Amino acid sequence: MKIAALGIDVGSTTIKMVAVNSVGEMVWNHLEQVDPRVEKQVDSFLEKLRNEIKSLEGIPLVATGYGRNLVQQAVKNITEITCHTRGVYHQLGHGGTLIDIGGQDSKVVVIGAEGQVLDFAMNDKCAAGTGRFLENSAARMHIPVVEMGFVALSATEEVTISSTCTVFAESEIISMLAQGIEVEPILMGLHRSLVKRVTAMVRSVGLAPPLLLSGGVVKNPAIRKVIEDETKEKVFIPEHPQLMGAYGAALFALGIK
Amino acid sequence: MAITTIPHRRDVIKDIKNRGGLVAAVLPIHYSRALLRAFDIFPIELWGPPKVDVSLGGAHLQSYVCSIVHNALSFLKMGELNVASLILIPHTCDSLQGLTSVLMDMIKPEQTIFPLYLPRGQREEDVVFLVDELQALYAHFSDFTGKYPTNEELLTAIKREELSDLLLLKLHKNRQQMGLSNIDFYRLVRSREYLSAEHFAALAENALQVTGETAGGIPVILSGILPEPMKMLDVISKMKGQVVADDLACCGRRLYQPGTSREPFRRMAERIIYAPPDPTRGNSIAERAEYLIEMARNSGAKGIIFYEVKFCEPELFDLPNLRNCLKEQGLASINIEVDINNLLPHQIATRIGAFLEMLDS
Repeated sequence: MKIAALGIDVGSTTIKMVAVNSVGEMVWNHLEQVDPRVEKQVDSFLEKLRNEIKSLEGIPLVATGYGRNLVQQAVKNITEITCHTRGVYHQLGHGGTLIDIGGQDSKVVVIGAEGQVLDFAMNDKCAAGTGRFLENSAARMHIPVVEMGFVALSATEEVTISSTCTVFAESEIISMLAQGIEVEPILMGLHRSLVKRVTAMVRSVGLAPPLLLSGGVVKNPAIRKVIEDETKEKVFIPEHPQLMGAYGAALFALGIK
Repeated sequence: MAITTIPHRRDVIKDIKNRGGLVAAVLPIHYSRALLRAFDIFPIELWGPPKVDVSLGGAHLQSYVCSIVHNALSFLKMGELNVASLILIPHTCDSLQGLTSVLMDMIKPEQTIFPLYLPRGQREEDVVFLVDELQALYAHFSDFTGKYPTNEELLTAIKREELSDLLLLKLHKNRQQMGLSNIDFYRLVRSREYLSAEHFAALAENALQVTGETAGGIPVILSGILPEPMKMLDVISKMKGQVVADDLACCGRRLYQPGTSREPFRRMAERIIYAPPDPTRGNSIAERAEYLIEMARNSGAKGIIFYEVKFCEPELFDLPNLRNCLKEQGLASINIEVDINNLLPHQIATRIGAFLEMLDS
């Protein structure tokens, strides 16, 4: 394994590190739930890689994500909007409108034909429209997060969740459960509520097809389906949707080298 | 220029009081400083301020009223406005109009409240309306102070403010040659909010004599209401941005041109009405877009940061269409909304950073 550059994405929920070779191919990656002591965790990531390739001497590292400023080893910090764009464009080979739904924020980026950011929108600092919205709801209904998309898709009907606020949505769910409504239609309604929040951001920047998805929440199949329902657009997902920020950062590091 | 030469607002107020002067607390945005000064009343503007106990104001206001109004009321309830003998509240928006009612009808503070109704247009009848308003205010101030400044005294006060405003305009025009950081520039120009015209003019003349190299960076226009929390300006600098032009309500939208009329009330009114486009004075989206595009062309700005106070209805109402107009003309923009009491959230730094990266790519 010949590593030419590294990228690290310190997100609010997970930390991802990617290594690329001299032609920008992803040759190594690692992902963990984020620890409050980010600096220590970054050290452990590098140590893990060092164990595999002996020396990291001279290999540039670019940091992105919520905690990018905490990565002392980085030669440069770049925002996750720019890094996700670079990663997705490099992997898919074309522009479009990228929706990235992360653990605690979500963003919509319009990517030009040459991979440049043309416009973008990010959600407000509340959890509406993010993975946290689903996590909270899943916990309330005692359904593992990884299963909730599949459970939602098994619904034969759907209820409307009117609250986009995570806390109010939770109250609404409790009320619905108390009325005897089944879990499946509630879950489907929750997914639609989240997606409507995100598609409002899409409208604010203007949808330029094709629609591209990245971020950890993309692993949830109901999200993909509801986004396609709401936008009437087929979505394209890169091979490693959760790693696109770190991958983009690694590509920037490769450019620095 | 050493930024320490700018006196602190509290010291300025203390100095006025020690000299037996009257202080007026003035809320945003447009009013005639000259009218107050003709009565020897010193206007000290109240744009918030940040870091107050907002729960005091919150007891009287709806949660969707902006933090500028919440803070102003909280500041008053904390007793911090006791130095002021009167409070002047221009009818800038519904929230400030609501504050006037709350103060006059409910709270009834020690200070006398003076509302100032502003027209929403630039027609002749708008000038006439504002002339009437300023004359009514003159009558109220006369009752309040027992003074009756002559037309000549009014014109002297107007010309003093005009001179100071011309220097303010020059500071804005020369900002890229003055060697000041983003934050130091705003500390300087915002001292116009509380310094007398004479004091500010002296400060501005000194500052204009100093030239230096600015840090440079990606050139942007700053729009919105006010640059608070001011840490945002450091964030822009840190992320290699440089504010090269200004459309802030507290700064660039108050670059009033000198008047020509010999009739003082008309001259005061015209200066306000023909100031740069402002949604609170009824300028259309098309006028604002044209003005901002021209500003970008002249300053070399690559984009506009709309730095808005949450719930600012006059600003936010126009913004989607205004941004679309700018986009169609190839000028990128970003909208960032803040509560002036909050520390600058990390997400805002990320958005500013991403916007600058986008402009730079």
